[in-house]
Amino acid sequence: MKAVGARLPRYDGIEHVTGRTTYVDDVRVPGTLWAKALRSPLHSATITSFDASKAEAMPGVHAVITHADVPLLEYGHLSALGIPADEPLLAKDEVRYKGQPIAVVAAEDEETAMAAVEAIDIELDERTPLFDIRRAFDSDAPKVHQWGNWYTHFEGEMDRRQIRKGSVEDAFDKADTIVQGVYRPAAIEHVPLETQVALVVPEASGRLTIYSCTQALYFSMGVVAAHLQVPLNKLKVVGGTVGGGFGGKVDTASETMCALLAQKSGRPVKWRWTREEEFLCSSTRAPWHMEIADAVTKDGWILGRKMLTLHDSGAYARFSPYGLTKHSFHHTGAYTIPNLDFDGYVVFTNRVPTTAMRGFGVTSVSFATETHMSRIADVLGLDPYEVRLKNANRIGDTSPNRIVYTDPSTVSVVKALAGGMDVELQPDYAAMTRDPREGDLLPEHLVSQIANPEDH
Amino acid sequence: MNLTVNGRTHDVESGPLATLLHVLREELGVTSPKAGCEQGGCGACTVLVDGEPQRACLTPVGALDGASVTTVEGLGAPESLSPLQQAFTHHYAAQCGFCTSGMMIAADAYLKRGGTDDREAIQEALAGHVCRCTGYVKIIDAVAAVARGDSFDLTVTAASAGMTNLGGDV
Repeated sequence: MKAVGARLPRYDGIEHVTGRTTYVDDVRVPGTLWAKALRSPLHSATITSFDASKAEAMPGVHAVITHADVPLLEYGHLSALGIPADEPLLAKDEVRYKGQPIAVVAAEDEETAMAAVEAIDIELDERTPLFDIRRAFDSDAPKVHQWGNWYTHFEGEMDRRQIRKGSVEDAFDKADTIVQGVYRPAAIEHVPLETQVALVVPEASGRLTIYSCTQALYFSMGVVAAHLQVPLNKLKVVGGTVGGGFGGKVDTASETMCALLAQKSGRPVKWRWTREEEFLCSSTRAPWHMEIADAVTKDGWILGRKMLTLHDSGAYARFSPYGLTKHSFHHTGAYTIPNLDFDGYVVFTNRVPTTAMRGFGVTSVSFATETHMSRIADVLGLDPYEVRLKNANRIGDTSPNRIVYTDPSTVSVVKALAGGMDVELQPDYAAMTRDPREGDLLPEHLVSQIANPEDH
Repeated sequence: MNLTVNGRTHDVESGPLATLLHVLREELGVTSPKAGCEQGGCGACTVLVDGEPQRACLTPVGALDGASVTTVEGLGAPESLSPLQQAFTHHYAAQCGFCTSGMMIAADAYLKRGGTDDREAIQEALAGHVCRCTGYVKIIDAVAAVARGDSFDLTVTAASAGMTNLGGDV
């Protein structure tokens, strides 16, 4: 354990400061073609005609791929976990978000590739798009997705992620007051300095060497192999050097299409997204809509919480069901609330598909919960630090999904924050620890929460 | 036309409207300047042109006949790191590394014109260089350390001056 606590130099530090780190865009393979995509200019449309023959005939153009070139058109990132596939690699009959790829070309250079994309004839019949996740449930809302406007494949084919714990009705009966809030954090683009990029080299052995900026190399391997319908031993994936990801390089964004172009052209193919593509077409952190109603006592205990969460998945599911599940497990934040009634939906819209970003699914509810804690303190006229410390997770408390906390940090973090803000806590709060509840900190409503950590 | 890059003179074959970034990366194979945005917005392509930091992505190469260009490769090799390169290593000022080349070029120009360890002055000198890993504190620490004339132990990484230990009683 020599590394723990030590300030070790980075293994790649010297390479970074001498300009020698080889990112995907720095790999040089002779004869490499440039890829460019024809992307949907509309948020929602039916494709009524498509003709790439002029592009294919252009000098310097080596391959054009469409949905017809993909051996397995639909494959989900979480197919291996039983979440069914819903997203075509390239759009077939319709487009569901602005920027969705429809065709990709490989040409001698970037300019020729761009000219070829512009030479593709396409006609679209525009439909009314849906952007507001609250509108998705209206009977007259545009229909976005083949499964309906929200995900319907949670365990047992449930259409929502649901948590029930204790008796919320009982908690609301006993409450002195109900504190409500609605929280709507917006989408965030990851903006890695390195845009999405992949390089695929067809080898004489018949294998493909794939250079990818992915954060999730084994996802990429599985996704490429599935779409191409080749065994994994036909792919050599080179990764691990990522010019910033922050969750935005978990989705397999460009290597599958480069692989198909490399197969079709017999040449190495590189696709580096422009900054504009990165902003307009790459996945983002999801927008969320969260409604919270807490049953509270006048001395600051939270007896119960009702919560509704709408998670904007964008046009396809990708990792969103997983993100919402994490969200549901954390929906009380860093606090222990004994009676819970949570419903969360993964809602489809005509936005870019959303994905992981730093604390996938959890930062949204942390924001909502912390804002709500301060609102509770405001409504009750109490100190916001004391309300937090009182309801803080302690050893032996249980999470919404009944995990026993053995190493909770809420008390120490809240005390450190008070210190950092020069707030002097009352002596009984300043002396508070995370030890198992007893005495005044174990009111009747929390008795059912206490588990013996040694039983778990 | 010709261009001297890190002390070596090259005949440039690209047309005059090709960007300096394109010439460096695609024609000459000098890959430390990065194509982060190709719009002058991120700073990752910054190089020294006759000693002055410039956005290579916005500079047509035709304007640079006979100029001398320095990239991070020209600041020092692994076996002969410049003080700034040592400082970036010791202070953990490169995380993903993609902004590092541009940051170091801007910092090098700042130090060469007599920049001090004043943190606001360093921020001003690095303005326009985006680090999305948000490692700015350590980058400023590294530049300030060079300005002070610190020496660096590359077998360890420094504690950051800008970070506070919140402590607590866990």
